[in-house]
Amino acid sequence: MISRFFRWLGTDLKEIGLTFAEGDWKTKLSFLLMGFGQLLRGQIVRGLTMLALEGGILYYLLDFGWGYLKNILTLGVVETHKEGRRTVYGDNSFLILLYGLLTIVIILALIYLWRVNVRQNREAEQRLKIGKRLPTNREDLASLFDKNFDKTLLALPVLGIFVFTVLPIIFMICIAFTNYDVTHQPPAKLFTWVGLENFKALFGLGGEGFGGTFFYVLGWTLVWAFFATFLTYFLGMAVAIMINKKGIRLKKLWRTILVMTIAVPQFVSLLYVGKMFATDGLVNSYLLKWGWIQSAIPFWDNATYARILIILINLWIGIPYTMLIVTGLLMNIPAELYESARIDGANPFQTFRKITLPYMLFVTGPFLLTQFIGNLNNFNVIFLLNRGRPQSMSLTNNAGSTDLLVTWLYKMTINDSNYKIAAVIGIMVFVVTAVISLIVYNTMPSVKDEEGFQ
Amino acid sequence: MKKFLAIVLALCLVVALAVPAYAADKTLKVWVADAVVDFTKEQIDAFMAEHPEYADYAVTVEPVGEGDAASNVLTDLDAAADIFGFPQDQLARLVAAGALIELSEENAAVVAEENSAGSVAAATMGDLVYAYPLTADNGYFLYYDKSVVTDPSSLEAIVADCEAAGKGFYMEINSGYYMPAFFFGAGCTLTYDADDTGAFTACNIDYASDAGVGALKAIIKLAQSPAFHNGSSIGNATNVGAIVDGTWDANAAKELLGENYACAKLPTFDCEGTPTQMSGFAGFKLLGVKPQTDDEKLALCDELALFLASGEVQVARYNAAGWGPSNLAAQADPAVQADEALSAYAAQGAFTIPQGQYPGDYWSLATALGDSVIAGDYNSADDAALLAVLQNFQDTCIGYAK
Repeated sequence: MISRFFRWLGTDLKEIGLTFAEGDWKTKLSFLLMGFGQLLRGQIVRGLTMLALEGGILYYLLDFGWGYLKNILTLGVVETHKEGRRTVYGDNSFLILLYGLLTIVIILALIYLWRVNVRQNREAEQRLKIGKRLPTNREDLASLFDKNFDKTLLALPVLGIFVFTVLPIIFMICIAFTNYDVTHQPPAKLFTWVGLENFKALFGLGGEGFGGTFFYVLGWTLVWAFFATFLTYFLGMAVAIMINKKGIRLKKLWRTILVMTIAVPQFVSLLYVGKMFATDGLVNSYLLKWGWIQSAIPFWDNATYARILIILINLWIGIPYTMLIVTGLLMNIPAELYESARIDGANPFQTFRKITLPYMLFVTGPFLLTQFIGNLNNFNVIFLLNRGRPQSMSLTNNAGSTDLLVTWLYKMTINDSNYKIAAVIGIMVFVVTAVISLIVYNTMPSVKDEEGFQ
Repeated sequence: MKKFLAIVLALCLVVALAVPAYAADKTLKVWVADAVVDFTKEQIDAFMAEHPEYADYAVTVEPVGEGDAASNVLTDLDAAADIFGFPQDQLARLVAAGALIELSEENAAVVAEENSAGSVAAATMGDLVYAYPLTADNGYFLYYDKSVVTDPSSLEAIVADCEAAGKGFYMEINSGYYMPAFFFGAGCTLTYDADDTGAFTACNIDYASDAGVGALKAIIKLAQSPAFHNGSSIGNATNVGAIVDGTWDANAAKELLGENYACAKLPTFDCEGTPTQMSGFAGFKLLGVKPQTDDEKLALCDELALFLASGEVQVARYNAAGWGPSNLAAQADPAVQADEALSAYAAQGAFTIPQGQYPGDYWSLATALGDSVIAGDYNSADDAALLAVLQNFQDTCIGYAK
């Protein structure tokens, strides 16, 4: 990988050198003034675009970008101070990091653009040398709606993804290596690079004692995602099969009743159900009234009860979705398969194990994977039901027994402004999901054996 | 490819160049709780009418709940209001983040002179006053149902009455705000010293003591009662016999309990055989000013905040929204004196300590301890085990100040 990169870099540099050595004066000047060669060869549109881009980027760098980029190694040194009672803000570490990163990306873009510029000059020269004509301005423009139409169309989405997704992700990753927290908050305070300190704090069992809590929360996150995914999946499938069975009456009614849980917004139903199970909620009051229990069951106050209850309530929300998806798929299984199985004397359980289940797993494999990943980050269910409670003296930093990494992260940023550790946890969530996705995806039958069921 | 890049880069430039600039602007934003938005608007209009020198400033009032205000301010200081109301427990966080400007010496002197000592302490970090006290009613006492509770003076009697009637006794014991009612009552202390920058320098705590164990045992015993519910919001409670709650819920309590509505100071609790008066926090709401880059606007903010926190406005605010004043003259106002809930709060006031400054971590730690109690982790623990728990709690508290 690395050697291939250097080989590529070598040939590329050689080509740049050749372009310069063999090129005429127009090409040579283009090395400094991008688009110069194109302009003189009549490719006005290309030339002007290049020139304008170079000018624009250089202006941006000198006028704006450099001011931030030059501080990126320290993230600012001028502290906010007061003149009389008036506040004079110093460096803003947040903006330095953000615009510094943006500037780095733009410099890389300039280098790439410059390379494109050099290549265009070489190609133009070579075409002219063998007597071919260059594409005219009109042809260049027209290609944007013809040969290069994909680029025209993709420009805006790619830009959007860069500005709203890629840049923030790079930014967040960088935050994990800084001391950005409540006592280092811009614009009034500076923050700076601290290397791997935050990772050490998270994994180190000593010190602030993050470590034990992190693995505890991670453990529950995985357990939760496993049960939330597979229980809803299998039970949903069971419900769908039962409703689909010949001889079951009022099929539509059953389906409608189940789908009702989807019709009510989760936000409402979860908050409501969360209250139902409070110590003074509906469930406990009735159990008390009927004399089944002597004192209220602490559904949300006992870690084990809370965990079980959350998984059960999630079933109630999740089963209808699986049922809907599975219902459609069940009808797709060729009836001949079942028929021949029956003739061969297979019982219903055998047909389920040998026909229905393999088919389902094959078709819904990718769906299961996304469900699992979604459940790892299932903020709604946990947070709306009981906010990750109960907390415990054995856990640090606000973490509760039912907290997922993502709800813990939320509490950390919103309640404690602990952005540095939150960023580290964000990276950890990514690592966990990435590892699981890669392993599972590569072992899935639907990926390994794409034509298995055709 | 190059055209595509051209568009990308050109747009990048546009995005990048749109940077926020600290320019002297003529707008002033105020965040206050929803309940007093209209009231605050009226007061500001009156203020602006009297101060024509600020006529070119446009003041807007936005409803932002006090609990959210601090978080919003910390999330984006640029976009935050210039003047905002917040509960005092957020002061340390705001000061540490540099989101508040200290009061001018003149204003600090006025505030210190006109307001109750506790409220001034609540607005102070180290030697500097960082905010204007607005109310002195952020504390809790007992609301109860007269038809259920016969003797509101003893916790054991209240709980017994509630159990007998099948009603609930509500107290949010997993909160660092309510839990000290037991510990402070038993004679423990827990305070923090802080410096001017919002950093905590020392923790004064003696929870790990016989008194602390007695208080913790009382909490554990309360949590085991079938009548006990962990909660402090009367709006969320469904089966109230009695609830430990604050003045902010007075109207909800009146509505829920109807003619059986009654309130009293907190009861005594049984601490190792001795009836002990519950203590608690006397808390305050504050009004803060964001650091300003412009002298004229800063002067306006100073004057406006001082005005909004002044005695007469506090009385007017009590009349409009029922907020109990921190201003000494306003507290003496006959209308304020006649308020039932505020009287109960005042009666409790003799046993409370003014809520000082606590690090954010303290509140999480207290919730953890409370949750462990409610979960029954210590139901069968002996005194030595409880002392170890409190020692751990105490050491962690001390660890927050360094």
